[in-house]
Amino acid sequence: MTRHPMLKYLKEKGPAGPRMPTIMCPGCGAGQVLNYTLHAVDEIIHNDGTRKEDFVFISGVGCSARLTSHYLNFDSGWTIHGRSLPIATGALLANPSLKIVVFTGDGDAMAIGGNHFIHTCRRNLDVTILCINNGLYGMTGGQVAPTTPTGTATATTPYGNMEEAFDLCKMAETSGASYVARWTTAHPRQTIKSIKKGIGKKGTAFIEILSQCPIHMKTPPVEMLRDFKANTVSINKSRGHGEDKILIGEFCHMERPEWTEKYQKILEQFD
Amino acid sequence: MAGPSEKNLLKPGVYYLQGNQACAEGAITAGCRVYAGYPITPASEIMEHAALRLPQVGGRFIQMEDEISSASVLLGASWAGAKAMTATSSPGFSLMQEVISFAIMTETPLVIVDVQRPGPGQGYITTSQEDVMQARWGHHGEGSIIALSPASVQEMFDFTIEAFNLAEQWRTPVLVMAEETVAHMREPLTIPPQDQIKVVNRKKPQDLGISPEEFLPYGHAMVPPMANWGEGYNVNHVSLVHHEDGNVTKYNRDIHLDSVSRIQQKIEGNTDHIARVETRFLEGCRHLVICYGSVSRTAVEAVMEARQERGIDLAFLRLVTLWPFPEKKLREIVRDVDTVFVPEMNLGMMKHPITEALRDRCNRIVPIPTLGALHSPEMILSKIYEELK
Repeated sequence: MTRHPMLKYLKEKGPAGPRMPTIMCPGCGAGQVLNYTLHAVDEIIHNDGTRKEDFVFISGVGCSARLTSHYLNFDSGWTIHGRSLPIATGALLANPSLKIVVFTGDGDAMAIGGNHFIHTCRRNLDVTILCINNGLYGMTGGQVAPTTPTGTATATTPYGNMEEAFDLCKMAETSGASYVARWTTAHPRQTIKSIKKGIGKKGTAFIEILSQCPIHMKTPPVEMLRDFKANTVSINKSRGHGEDKILIGEFCHMERPEWTEKYQKILEQFD
Repeated sequence: MAGPSEKNLLKPGVYYLQGNQACAEGAITAGCRVYAGYPITPASEIMEHAALRLPQVGGRFIQMEDEISSASVLLGASWAGAKAMTATSSPGFSLMQEVISFAIMTETPLVIVDVQRPGPGQGYITTSQEDVMQARWGHHGEGSIIALSPASVQEMFDFTIEAFNLAEQWRTPVLVMAEETVAHMREPLTIPPQDQIKVVNRKKPQDLGISPEEFLPYGHAMVPPMANWGEGYNVNHVSLVHHEDGNVTKYNRDIHLDSVSRIQQKIEGNTDHIARVETRFLEGCRHLVICYGSVSRTAVEAVMEARQERGIDLAFLRLVTLWPFPEKKLREIVRDVDTVFVPEMNLGMMKHPITEALRDRCNRIVPIPTLGALHSPEMILSKIYEELK
C-alpha cells in the first residue's frame, strides 16, 4: 500500500503507544487543511533551504487546535483557547528566526481571541495564521460562532442565529496584516500556494480556509465541498457579481515593516 | 536572541532606586530577555524600566493588549528558550490565572510579579497583601506554586533573581508577591559583582546526553529536562493530561494521578529546599509575631519595642517564601508558645496555614488585620499590649 507522502511529518506512534487515528470526525475538513499545510511546508523545506526544525506550529483549543496535538512531528504547542497568537508573539520575540504557523478556528481566532487577532495583525508580527472556518463550535457540540450565517439553527440558536457573521479577511486586512487570502477545502492547489506565500511573507499572513463540519451541519461532506465550489467566486472575477456569493482569493499582498525587524533597529543602537 | 550585551548590565555598586526599578534590574541580571506587560498602577514602573533597559542588553520588550496576552507571551518565549517576565497588579493578576494554571501543567519556567493593591474590584491603588491566597489557589486545578514576598528595594532585586532561578530549577511558574509599599519605596540598592550573583539555567536534554529520538518532554526526572523550540527535539507542549512522551489518551486514572502528583510533589516535596523563613529572638520565646513582606518592617520594630519597653518575651518570624508554605519548618522551630500575632494587610489570609501548622504549638492565634495601608508599629503594639495585659 502506498503511504501518504505527508506521513513523514507526523508521529504515528510514540513510546506510550499509537497516536493515530486522529480525533477528527469522518469527512472533517481539518485533515485536508493539515495536508495542504504540510505540502506547502514540504515545498519550502525542499526549495528554499528552510530547516524542518525552524518551523513551530501553535494552536489554541478546538477542532483546529488538534492539528498541533501529538500527531505533528514538529516543535509545537497545543495551547490556551484564544491565546495562540500572544504565545506565538512570545516565541517570535525570543527567536525571530522561527517560522511560526498558527492553526486557529473561527471561534478561537475571532471570539475568545479576537482582541489578540486584531493586535497581532496591527503589529505585523511575522506569523502565518491559518484559520479553519467551519462556521460553528465543533468540539463543544455545534454551538453558534461569530462566523455562523444569519438564520442558521445551532445548539445555542435553536430559533435561528439572529446575529451577523464576521468577515475575517476584512478584519485582518483592516487591522494591518500584510497578506490576506480566503479559500475553501475544495481549493487545494490555491490553498497550498497561499500558505507558501504566507510563510514566505515577512509579517502577518492570514489565510482563512472555509471548511466543512458534516456532523454539526448535518450535511454530507461531498455535498458541502460541492457547495464551496458553487457558492464562491474569485475576487478577480467577481466584478460586482459576487454579492450573493462568498469571495475567495488574495485580498491583500503588500510589504510593510515587520515588528521584529523594526525592533532590530533599536537593538542595533546598543551593539 | 540578539547577543546579550553584558556591558550594559548595571555595574556593581550602590544605587538609589525605586523598588519597581530594582525588580526590573533584577530580572535583567537573572537573564530575562523577553518582557511583556500591560500598564497598571502601582506596577507600571517595572514595565517602563524594562522598556528602557531590555534593548540595551539584547532583549525584547512588548506592550500587549491586556494582561492575559502579556502572560501568554511568556509561555511562547520560554519554550523558544528565553527567560521571560511580566508584572501586574491585583486586577491584572486575576486575568493571569489562566496562564499560571497552563504553565504549571506544561511545566513552563516563567516569572510573574504581582504588585498587590487592595480589592475587591478596583479597590484602591494603595498597598495590600490581599492576593496571597489567590497566588496559591487562584488557578484552576491542582498543582503547586512558588511565591516570594520581598520587603525592601534590595529584595525586589534579589528575589526577582531568585524567582528566575527557582523557575528554571523547578521548571515552573514563580510569583513575586510584592506590595505597593516596596514597589514605590526608594532605598539604596547594592549590586554585587556579576560573578557573585547566582544565576540558574534550565537543564536541557542536550546537557544530559539525551538525543531527540530518546527525548521524553515530560519524563527522565522529577523535573524533566526542557528542550527549546528550534533545536530539533520536536517538542509538543500540551496541557491535557499526558504521558511522559507528551501523548494524550482517553481518561486514565493512573496517568492522571501520577503526572499531576509529580507536578505538585516536585514543589511540595521540596519545600525544605525552596521555602525560607527569618527569625529573631525565637529560642525559648513565649509569644511570637509572624508576618511577611513590608509588614515585617514595622512588625520587627514593634517586637523590639515590646521587648525593650515592657520586657515582653516576644519573638519575630518572617515568611520569606509564602508558597510552598513551610509548615514542617515552622513546626520544627516553633515548639511551645502562648500567643501568635499575625499582622497582615488583609482580613486574615496567611493566618489560615499558620493556624494549621501551629495547631498544637500555641494557645491562640491573634490576627492584626488592616487594609490599604501599612501597619504602624504602634498599631501592632497596641494590639499586643491589649491582648497580653
